Amino acid sequence: MIDVRNLCKTYRVPLKDPGLAGSLRSLWNRRTRDVHAVADVSFSIQQGERVGFLGPNGAGKTTTLKMLSGLLHPTAGQVSVLGHRPQDRSPDLLRRITLVMGQKQQLLWDLPPRETFELNRAMYDLDRAQFRRTLDELVDLLRIGELIDKPARNLSLGERMKCELCAALLHRPQVLFLDEPTIGLDVEMQAEVRRFVADVNERLGATVILTSHYMQDIAALTPRLLVIDRGRLRYDGPRDALASRIAPERRVTVRGEVPALRELGFREEHGRMVATVPTSRVNALLSEVLAAVPAADLGVEEIPLDEVMARYFRGDEGEPGQAAS
Amino acid sequence: MSAGARAGGWLARHLRATPTLLRVGFASMVAYRAEMVVWILTASLPLVMLALWNAAAADGPVSGFGQAEFARYFTATLVVRQLTGAWVVWELNHQVRTGALSPQLLRPVHPLAQNLAETAAAVPFRLVVLAPILALLLAWRPDIAWLPSPTQALLGLLSVVLAFLLSWLVQAIFGMLAFWLEQSLGLFSLWFAAYAVLGGYFLPVALLPGPVREAAAWLPFQATLATPVEVLLGLRDDPVHAVLVQLLWVVLALGTCAGMWRRGLVRYGAVGA
Amino acid sequence: MPEAPLPAMRRGPARWISVLAALGRVALMNAAAYRASFVVDVLVGAVASVGVVLPLLFVYEHAGSVAGWTLHQALLVTAFFLVLQGLVGLLVEPNLGAVVEGVRSGSLDYLVLKPVDAQLVASLQRVAPAKAWDVLAGLVVGAWALAHLPPPTWQGALLALGLLLAGLAAIYGVWVLVICTSFWFVRVDNLRFLLTAALDAGRWPVGVYRGWVRLLLTVVVPVALVTSFPAMALLGTARPGTVLHALVVAGGLLWASRLTWRGALRHYTSASS
Repeated sequence: MIDVRNLCKTYRVPLKDPGLAGSLRSLWNRRTRDVHAVADVSFSIQQGERVGFLGPNGAGKTTTLKMLSGLLHPTAGQVSVLGHRPQDRSPDLLRRITLVMGQKQQLLWDLPPRETFELNRAMYDLDRAQFRRTLDELVDLLRIGELIDKPARNLSLGERMKCELCAALLHRPQVLFLDEPTIGLDVEMQAEVRRFVADVNERLGATVILTSHYMQDIAALTPRLLVIDRGRLRYDGPRDALASRIAPERRVTVRGEVPALRELGFREEHGRMVATVPTSRVNALLSEVLAAVPAADLGVEEIPLDEVMARYFRGDEGEPGQAAS
Repeated sequence: MSAGARAGGWLARHLRATPTLLRVGFASMVAYRAEMVVWILTASLPLVMLALWNAAAADGPVSGFGQAEFARYFTATLVVRQLTGAWVVWELNHQVRTGALSPQLLRPVHPLAQNLAETAAAVPFRLVVLAPILALLLAWRPDIAWLPSPTQALLGLLSVVLAFLLSWLVQAIFGMLAFWLEQSLGLFSLWFAAYAVLGGYFLPVALLPGPVREAAAWLPFQATLATPVEVLLGLRDDPVHAVLVQLLWVVLALGTCAGMWRRGLVRYGAVGA
Repeated sequence: MPEAPLPAMRRGPARWISVLAALGRVALMNAAAYRASFVVDVLVGAVASVGVVLPLLFVYEHAGSVAGWTLHQALLVTAFFLVLQGLVGLLVEPNLGAVVEGVRSGSLDYLVLKPVDAQLVASLQRVAPAKAWDVLAGLVVGAWALAHLPPPTWQGALLALGLLLAGLAAIYGVWVLVICTSFWFVRVDNLRFLLTAALDAGRWPVGVYRGWVRLLLTVVVPVALVTSFPAMALLGTARPGTVLHALVVAGGLLWASRLTWRGALRHYTSASS
């Protein structure tokens, strides 16, 4: 459904010497440097999948997303989305995809969101009755009933993002590209947006492709991960598999401060004792703890995803660059 | 500390800061050079007016103005208008509306003083952009060239400086109206329309119909443009008197400006920007 | 949310009319959101119109005919100029300003991803109704001028309308060309103010200008197509060559603007990060 082969995007950036003399010199002697934002990336995505793009700032996540949606022309390689070349921007494709960018907006600033919705209805040529049904459904799901008749400039950031999502989904797209959709939102609103995206994925069977800085977005939403670093695809596969490869450990926790456990390798952390051990040793450790402190309140946790990723980008996994797809 | 001493300290501090302000003003000028060139070139109206009057004088002088005189007059108008150009009305209007004025108020230097320094620092740059235009005009009509007498030059220079101050003060006054009014920029366009007709921008004041010309003599418009042009070209019989009238307008505008600033700030603080 | 594939998109006029209606609605509502300035806008518009006509009256006080045009013939040109200024202010300037803003803020991304012609939508998302007063002023001046001229034939009137439309298309084309520069150089977007300044030259009959300036006004920034040419049609002095010239220039500029817009969009989408 989405098929990407050897995708590359290279920017040519002018180099400028500082100062007035520098800018004068660059008038006739422009020196440039090539920046490989995306280099030889290949993957494919099936209908209905939820995929997360993960990587540090400037890794090429957004650039890839923009090439998938047709905003950017690739320098080399092929992209196919629902059988179309996205950069041709054929109306047929545009009516089946949508893009939501957390840092840019399509809502008309001085008018109520309802007017943006109406405009989109005309632009996407939607049947009135069906449009109304979809709108009611989305308004209900997003709980924006009271918001859509207030001027957009009077809405809070989170309220605006919910209306942006509504505007982007009125034409019932089959593919959702989400670029940092939760950026700047408070924790509660982030959770609400995530719940909504998962809902849309289930109800519409829509494919969701997401980039985010917030590891919780990825952890909650996308079972499949594409890790992009310095323009290259470093991992493509299940989120859990990556976690167990990078961090094949569990955190064993005991509630309360129990100094006796220090000898077993536990440390104090926010009023509880924590030990990180290889998965294979968890059972043995549990018995040791129970032997030492029979009434211990025990727990076993996975390593949080952001720590996994931090290790991954530090190169702790031993053999970087191996994509397990 | 007496009020006089305080005012003296204020003045001394600003005088000490002047070279720095000018240098910073020039740097920001250089940073915005592309915009600046465009802004300078947009003031082409004197040339449009010249085309009309040039055609009108094709069959002989109009009230003593032949084609050469018109060319000289509108060229001088173009130059003086550039040298006295300001943008404080837009800047102040923007700062008051968006609240960008607030951080400026916390600095020890008067926000308007900084703008005045930037405006002055732009003058040499304006001359550089004007040079090729003047060269083209000279190539078209070599008889534009004229040499003012030393007195004309000296009085003319003084007159240009006064016109610069007056234009800037008038813009500042209209900009400060934003403390009270939504539409201060609209009112400034009204001023500009009157200035264009009565101040010598669209046509030499001498060509205005009698009653209009007499009324215009009592208004401030000429002091911002026509007076320096006429003094430089030697078209005035009473150049010293004309410059003194300019000075009077500058003093009046300065007083208005100071009073409005004080009251405007009270208002600004009360509205809570 | 049951699975319901979209029916195929309609093509042809019905769809365009529904898109245009939706755009017009939004544009008017946007304008209504800023209604505070109405009175001052009207006043400024009226005074500015007077400012356009007044120099002409002063010139003709001293000369019976300028470049072969009598006062009322020249006023006819001015009338078309006012109409042009009104339409540019009403439709062209606010929209192309919005495009520049969209490039800067990135909201153009969303426009590009809609299944509609981006140039059409980008050209019709805003209106500034207050500028309609310029159009009205143009009609008043035109009626006044025509009352003092022999009545035009209906062929002449029809031809004038056609030339006006061709001229407006040409001006729109130039405007799009200028706006496209902001896709490459975001900071020179104020080139469009330079264009406004160039249009100012269209207020006089084109015969006032000579040589390359005239060429500029009839081909490069073809404001004469909108002002002088329709006036000539009404006066019965338009020659077949005039009509051909207008059609070629308008067609050429529209075509060039379409091509440049496409190229600019491609550049925009391949350069933004």
